[in-house]
Amino acid sequence: MVLNTTILSWVTFIYFGSATLYLFRMVTGKEFWGPPATYTALFGLLAQSIALVLRWIESYKMGIGHAPLSNLYESLIFFSWTIVLLYLIIEWRIKSRNLGAFVMPFAFISIAYASFSPNVNSRIQPLIPALQSNWLISHVITCFFGYAAFAIACGLALMYLIKGLGRDDGSSAFFRLLPNRDILDELSYHSVVIGFIFLTLGIITGSVWAYSAWGSYWSWDPKETWSLITWLIYAAMLHSRLIRGWRGKRMAIMSIIGFGSVLFTYFGVNLLPGLHSYL
Amino acid sequence: MIKRSIAFLSSLKLTIALLIIIAAASVLGTVIPQQYGAVGSFRTLSPELIDLFESLQLFDLYHSIWFIILMSLLSANLIACFLKRFPTSWKLFRKIPSLDTDKHFKNLPPERIITVEGKPHGVIGKLEPLLLKRYKRVRKKASERGAVFYGEKGAYSRFGVYITHASVLVVIVGAIIGSLLGFEAYVNLPEGESTNAVYMTRKKGIKQLDFTVRCDSFSISYYDNGMPKEYRSQLSFLKDDTVLFQGPLLVNHPITIDGIRFYQASYGSIPGDEVYLTIRKGDGETVLRTARAKDPFFLNDNDASVEVVRIEENFMSMGPAVLLEITSPEGSTSFWVFKYIEKIMDRFPEILDKVPKFNPGLYRPCLFGLDRIESRYYTGLQISKDPGVYTVAVGSFFVILGFFITFFSAHKRLWIRVAEQGEKSMISISAHSSKDPVGLKRDIEHLMKHISSLRE
Repeated sequence: MVLNTTILSWVTFIYFGSATLYLFRMVTGKEFWGPPATYTALFGLLAQSIALVLRWIESYKMGIGHAPLSNLYESLIFFSWTIVLLYLIIEWRIKSRNLGAFVMPFAFISIAYASFSPNVNSRIQPLIPALQSNWLISHVITCFFGYAAFAIACGLALMYLIKGLGRDDGSSAFFRLLPNRDILDELSYHSVVIGFIFLTLGIITGSVWAYSAWGSYWSWDPKETWSLITWLIYAAMLHSRLIRGWRGKRMAIMSIIGFGSVLFTYFGVNLLPGLHSYL
Repeated sequence: MIKRSIAFLSSLKLTIALLIIIAAASVLGTVIPQQYGAVGSFRTLSPELIDLFESLQLFDLYHSIWFIILMSLLSANLIACFLKRFPTSWKLFRKIPSLDTDKHFKNLPPERIITVEGKPHGVIGKLEPLLLKRYKRVRKKASERGAVFYGEKGAYSRFGVYITHASVLVVIVGAIIGSLLGFEAYVNLPEGESTNAVYMTRKKGIKQLDFTVRCDSFSISYYDNGMPKEYRSQLSFLKDDTVLFQGPLLVNHPITIDGIRFYQASYGSIPGDEVYLTIRKGDGETVLRTARAKDPFFLNDNDASVEVVRIEENFMSMGPAVLLEITSPEGSTSFWVFKYIEKIMDRFPEILDKVPKFNPGLYRPCLFGLDRIESRYYTGLQISKDPGVYTVAVGSFFVILGFFITFFSAHKRLWIRVAEQGEKSMISISAHSSKDPVGLKRDIEHLMKHISSLRE
């Protein structure tokens, strides 16, 4: 196995460890588990960044140099990287570790799928002609930051719904540690805004690329169409919140539906015929 | 009636309903195969369903009347909302804030009131330049014993949402321009051939270009692992025997001629007009010979001429075959020569009796065989013209700009009263922000720090 993929499969365990520590903290209610959880995640992010750089260098050594963003394996790895990066920034900004138990599992699942699924090829492959474009990097980065922000919003929405199930007598550490619902709602909204801006940028960079590769900036390819569907769902969500003042449970449910659409845009579309046969 | 329909058009309920309906329709369009893909699905769908889908234009959903109506309604909704809300925002933007009122200073928390040394006069003299530096549209109302200031920043913030929505309309306008004035077409061009007629993708029919495109050559290169590395068409664009442009066309690198863009879209191979024949003559000797279509050659000593009349890559699903016509003093015969004649005879042992024309030994005593057909590439070009694309690009840029203004800027307003209190001055600060209470608090704390250091 090549060094970068070895490191990346170790990072899978590191993220699993971090997610477990965050969960421990939530269940036991002891802050004792908090710092190790954060530092484990940070260590994983660092190792993953190094592995990505190594992979990039490796591709140049093979004479087919390109950013490690070009197939399913690389996109899943990058997805987990963006989730952890965004999460750690949020943790640092709001000075609370309470979201970790709900966000780190997304990063873990993504990288675990990349590392251990037999359907995902981890080899560095050369770029087919359609992918040989300067727009590859900006398109993939904007899309995946969007996806990651929506993943975090979905985690927050799940927390919101779970918080609603618990009795608020403070008897359970788990429910006590869940932030109060107004904060969850506000954070979820901010994540959706970030995701929406990145998704829009992703669609725009994608259509600029399509204009030079496919002959049209928009050709109703299924992945294009599903990104539009996702965009419309979140647009409906933002409008109902900003103008009608919808809050809380409805927003949480829309956020989960929206993330379902994100996942379909990412994975499901490959079941449909189209131009995006690579990811 | 008009009022009610305007109210309907500008309602948010309509917006949300449209966003969701358009999303749902788009889902349908990714499930039902569209346009050319639809042909393949005809076998799996029942005839009734095909008729139903056909009548609802579901096989070309994104260009169907009802999808266009949905998009028009969305545009009307955008315009109506703009007209309904913008004048109010503009009025608020233009409105001169009142400084008369004391209402802003009622119920202020104690940390928003500070006392500094010195009479108001001196304090005001120092406060004013500070405010002028940091805030826009600073106003002052002085009285005998003090003054009231107003300052604001980020007033443009409320226009972000209009910029975004107007820009979405601009994008839609660009798309309409493209669909009305632009076109999409394709042509498959074999190596060495040229054309000025291309096939329209959407509008059907043939489009005549006012120049000619010629494919000089096509080539593919591969990586070591067999994946394609580059598709390259060497093209020449000609007009009245002058070369407009000559160069390679690559994927991701379209060529633009007269505002018409050419893309490397696909490729394929077609039989060329050269074939390799094996000929076993009467003496048992076998020779390999190349022959060109419609270009007869003599078999032995000028007694019989052989002409390749037709070249088929897959004749009657039995593989490559050529039709030969042999003319000799005794008359002429024609027969087919298959590449895989042995396999065909294994499967259909009696075929030569039933169809004598499939017998490669029909001209005795020679036996013909087909070694291979020289194939040549054709390049699949996509051709498009879209005059709306710049409009769409400008619209997209402003959509993003609008987002940043809407989500990352806030309108902050500030009222400051300086009042005499004995030998000191009492300063009260009242503030309001549309979206950013945290940033506002930080701003005020900053200002307070400066003010408390003001001394005469």
